[in-house]
Amino acid sequence: MDPRIEETEVNAGREPSPDYEVALVSLNQWQLAWRRFRRHRLAMIGAGLFLAMLAIAAFGPILLPYDPTFVPAPDSLYCPGSTTALAYSGCPPFTPGHILGTTGSLRLDLLTLVVNGARVSLMIGLGASIFSAVIGTIVGGLAGYFGGLLDNVLMRIVDIMLSIPILFVIIICAQIFGNGDWKVILVVFAIFGWQGTARLVRSLFLTLRTEVFVDAARAVGVGDIRIIFRHILPNAVSPIIVSTTLSVAGVIIGEAFVSFIGYGVNPAITPTWGNELTAAQNFIAQGNWWWPLFPGLAIVLTVLGINFMGDGLRDALDPRSRE
Amino acid sequence: MLKYTIRRSLQAVPVLFGITIVCFMLMHLQPGNPADRFAQNPKITQAQIDAFKHRWGLDDPLPVQYCTWLGVCGDAGVLNALPGGQLNVAGLSIGLPGGNNGVLHGDFGYSIFDGQPVTDIIANRALPTIILAGTAYVIWITIAFLAGVYAAVKRYGKFDSILTIFNYIGYSLPTFWLGLMLIAFLSVPPLKIFPASGMWDARSVPIFGTGDYWVYVGAHPIDALVDLARHLALPVLTLVLVSVAGDSRFIRSSMLDALNQDYVKTARAKGLPERRVIFRHALRNALLPVITNVGLEIPFLFSGAIATETIFSWPGMGRQFVESVGHNDYTVLMGILLITSVIVVFANLLADIMYAVVDPRVKYD
Repeated sequence: MDPRIEETEVNAGREPSPDYEVALVSLNQWQLAWRRFRRHRLAMIGAGLFLAMLAIAAFGPILLPYDPTFVPAPDSLYCPGSTTALAYSGCPPFTPGHILGTTGSLRLDLLTLVVNGARVSLMIGLGASIFSAVIGTIVGGLAGYFGGLLDNVLMRIVDIMLSIPILFVIIICAQIFGNGDWKVILVVFAIFGWQGTARLVRSLFLTLRTEVFVDAARAVGVGDIRIIFRHILPNAVSPIIVSTTLSVAGVIIGEAFVSFIGYGVNPAITPTWGNELTAAQNFIAQGNWWWPLFPGLAIVLTVLGINFMGDGLRDALDPRSRE
Repeated sequence: MLKYTIRRSLQAVPVLFGITIVCFMLMHLQPGNPADRFAQNPKITQAQIDAFKHRWGLDDPLPVQYCTWLGVCGDAGVLNALPGGQLNVAGLSIGLPGGNNGVLHGDFGYSIFDGQPVTDIIANRALPTIILAGTAYVIWITIAFLAGVYAAVKRYGKFDSILTIFNYIGYSLPTFWLGLMLIAFLSVPPLKIFPASGMWDARSVPIFGTGDYWVYVGAHPIDALVDLARHLALPVLTLVLVSVAGDSRFIRSSMLDALNQDYVKTARAKGLPERRVIFRHALRNALLPVITNVGLEIPFLFSGAIATETIFSWPGMGRQFVESVGHNDYTVLMGILLITSVIVVFANLLADIMYAVVDPRVKYD
């Protein structure tokens, strides 16, 4: 290889082109963003955490020996390997066979619960966020592009949703329609979660619709809907990705709380990180700190990962926004 | 200015009506209706149920029911003739949403669960929420302000990095789980320092809000305060840890913005002492967005403590809400929802107008 050509990550492994001394590779904006994201240490840690959680959710339940709904027959009064710890109030972490300990009362394996809880918690977090991002983008896009009466009506609806404590409405709707079904809970979170995205997209569209390329598209006879989704939306996609990523964290925490107070996902059918904590509350007084600790820790690590990733995405996709 | 105020106020009107419509619809989504409770009672005939429905307008079309619920239409005379908006059918006293005057007149009807007026219930629950959220708010704003400004001034310093890490973690903590953890480690042996739940020590203090309680406070003010403070400790700590994260981050970035402005460079170039540049030039300008943003958190204090109140059995509005959901007590639910939302609308309105007064750069159109 020509020694004058610096070995960089861009041209690594490429043969220098014969006509030029330096091989130039053009990168599109996504490749540039990925390069910035990769250099963001926290973002990579966050992405790692999040991917690890996804992997646990996908494969963990298959690999573990226990089933989350399987209730072991109480075989002794005391925890294995102990003569003092009562099995009824749960066995502490590092008990043989139960690395994270067991729950009180039913003596379920905590590791199994946490791993199985990951599935539905993440599914609701991701599903509801993507679903509400789609609604928010459509509403915000229509309002920002067309303006006028439509904008006024849609934005007043957003105002209403931002004034009402939305968690209260979610709790009521989850209780009325939910019946403990996680799919309904997902939809409830999606339906009441799009107002922020709608405002964001509208403000982006208000500036973008005055750009010359929109006039150009209109001049050659492109229809409104096509202009909105094919010409303007691609330019507004970065902030939408960032806000959707961060909203996954919010939904995971929200779902956990709604399920925790007993109006969300039914713990007897589908374990989630939130509903695993409901019964844990009653055993805290008996010194069982590990039962409430581990499902919550799973939430914190996931949310931390998502927040790191969201900040990294913001820096990578929109370098100007860096403080 | 006056024009702006009027126009901005008019904008709030459709939002307020939208809120009442949302509340009314949620109320009708609830399974069953107020006459269902007679279904199991053999003493009540179908004719009596029909009469009950007719009397309360339950057989009217929905828009008419909404209008009556608001207190705009409907024969108030008939309804007012009933004592306390209640109707006796075979000895059952029944309260209805909207009471006898309609929500526009501040009458939210009676709790389905225990028959008390909704306004009384909310009034009883508002004070504990204000005590809890207010105390926490003052503490977290003070900490967030000092930490945020200091971190911005010493940017990239040791404190700044520690604050950043703390903020990330604090921002990722579910409030209710943090509360559980504080209980598990600070109110259970071996470290049994603070009470895990409630607002007063039931063994020595009368029920909060009753006449006895205030007599007790008058007789033993120190004891009462210490008892309250002990019970406040963990819920306040929970709220503060979670809320400092977001606010200090905001205050830091707004202070950084101000420090990067040209007038700060000018002030430095003039040779002003750094202290003066920071406090006189940068801080004053950084305060503007901080005050509006931080001020807008106040209306959400009424609803925002729901997780904390649930965990610590704090007898506030949030806990009442969660309890009422369990009782299907939709008159109380709608009352809480309406009042908290209306407070938010008015606070937003006030904030916008205040902002226009404080910052002459705000355009009125």
